[in-house]
Amino acid sequence: MIKAGQVEKGMALLMKGQPFIVVEREFVNPGKGSAFARIKMKSPTTGQVLRETIKTQDSVEDISVDDKDCQYLYNDGEMYYFMENDTFEQFEIPMATFPDYKVLMKDGDSYRISMWGDKPLNIVIPYKVIYIVAEAQEAVKGDTVQGASKIVTTETGLKVKVPIFIKQGEKILVNTETKEYLERVNN
Amino acid sequence: MTCIVRRKQYRKMRPCLTGMASGTMIFMDIEFVRKRSELYQRIRDFFNSKDYLEVETPILSETLIPESTISCFSTFFRSEFHSSRDYYLIPSPEVHMKRLIGQGYGNIYQIARCFRNSEQIGSHHNPEFSMLEWYTMDANYRDSILMTERLIKAVCTEDTPDHVRAPFEILSVAEAFKAYAELDLDSLMRPSLMREAIRAKGLSEGDTQASWEEMFNRLFLTFVEPEISSEHPVLLIDYPRALQCLARPIKGTPYRERWELYIGGIEVANCYTEMTERSTVKSYFEEEFAQLCSIRAVSGETIPDIDETYHEMFTDDYPACSGVAIGLDRLLMAIHSIKTIQGVILFPFSDTIGKR
Repeated sequence: MIKAGQVEKGMALLMKGQPFIVVEREFVNPGKGSAFARIKMKSPTTGQVLRETIKTQDSVEDISVDDKDCQYLYNDGEMYYFMENDTFEQFEIPMATFPDYKVLMKDGDSYRISMWGDKPLNIVIPYKVIYIVAEAQEAVKGDTVQGASKIVTTETGLKVKVPIFIKQGEKILVNTETKEYLERVNN
Repeated sequence: MTCIVRRKQYRKMRPCLTGMASGTMIFMDIEFVRKRSELYQRIRDFFNSKDYLEVETPILSETLIPESTISCFSTFFRSEFHSSRDYYLIPSPEVHMKRLIGQGYGNIYQIARCFRNSEQIGSHHNPEFSMLEWYTMDANYRDSILMTERLIKAVCTEDTPDHVRAPFEILSVAEAFKAYAELDLDSLMRPSLMREAIRAKGLSEGDTQASWEEMFNRLFLTFVEPEISSEHPVLLIDYPRALQCLARPIKGTPYRERWELYIGGIEVANCYTEMTERSTVKSYFEEEFAQLCSIRAVSGETIPDIDETYHEMFTDDYPACSGVAIGLDRLLMAIHSIKTIQGVILFPFSDTIGKR
């Protein structure tokens, strides 16, 4: 058991006997009220969404998981297919559970998968990832906050707002959580 | 080696780097420092033209109004010549402004630095923030809606998006519960019925001793607040009496004369018809302070001193009034479409802390 205030994105929780992955976690203080954790969870098997709001001091049941390194093979529009690096065993995870990972994961790369028994619960995407700019589109009018910028597409299909000096074929470091450009990576 | 940058050179450096929030650099253009200054000017012009007096009251206070859900900062006054004691950074300027009202100051406003401890530091919270608070005499919370609408119009600039300028949608809390949670709040005023609703909506049972207020907040935060429109400002009005505060109850109903304003789905303002009945203020102080002490005996948070004679100023002559508080950092974010509070604050608090 952990306090709701310790819940983080990517954690596995047991709710009503079923495993759920925390996909969003926000702390909220209503105008007149104590601190709450507002949590959005997804079932890794069915993709079902569950919403909860719990006082940060109250307990929730967390699941201890085994992390295994697995190679991402491909997806067929319904499932992501992985192979465990040690045993070469293949398994799949419904894409509906992590729809935005489609543009974050690279074919052939290794990812850490959290296993609960033989059930894959979560895919861990590194916080910062280097992508290749596959397509650089037109510049958008610069806003006053971040200066002149444009949208590019990475080799995985991820669209990122970057400074105008970024060219096709260059490598960029991206924050996978916010999907924001961090810096250009020199070879 | 110390690097000295002369003022002239420094002013040329823009955008200036203000922070590294969650590993991402946020650049704050000097334009935003100017935009805050312009916002304050417009606020002052607005209130001065309506004959409100700008006041400045202490942010370091010897007592606070008890609020069991707001954690405060305390500091120690040390002196060889006077008795040393704790002082508190105000979570809002209310404690002193209400004294000025009692002294017959009339309509007053203040732009104050306020402090709240223990809140999650994120894109909408900085422990130190700026608040505009104003009080209108012989007015109620409905009169304050009109003032607030006019104020928002007066501070919008050419780059303010339409969803901020739009007329307010006024929705009672009960109506919002019906629309977004499909619950009839009027018929859930008993804890047992509220517990039933929690179960019916699929939330976990939680603490069996949970208060009505806690259960209300869980339902509100899960099903209602996320559905509040970002297309236009939304004013949620008439909050349940069970949420203890110094707002006047609405006769014959389980609600209070209180509203909160959401812009872009974010809470930016709070308003009451102020409670001015001496005996009710006294019992609020006693009950809320007892509640605060029992919570903090467990959590170890600071228990601020309160003024046990505070209620005495609420004589029969104390004016009927309505007070509004607006978070100015959030307002600045809204009128210029900035997503994080760090984007409008110089030297944000988040730069100074490590992750747990």
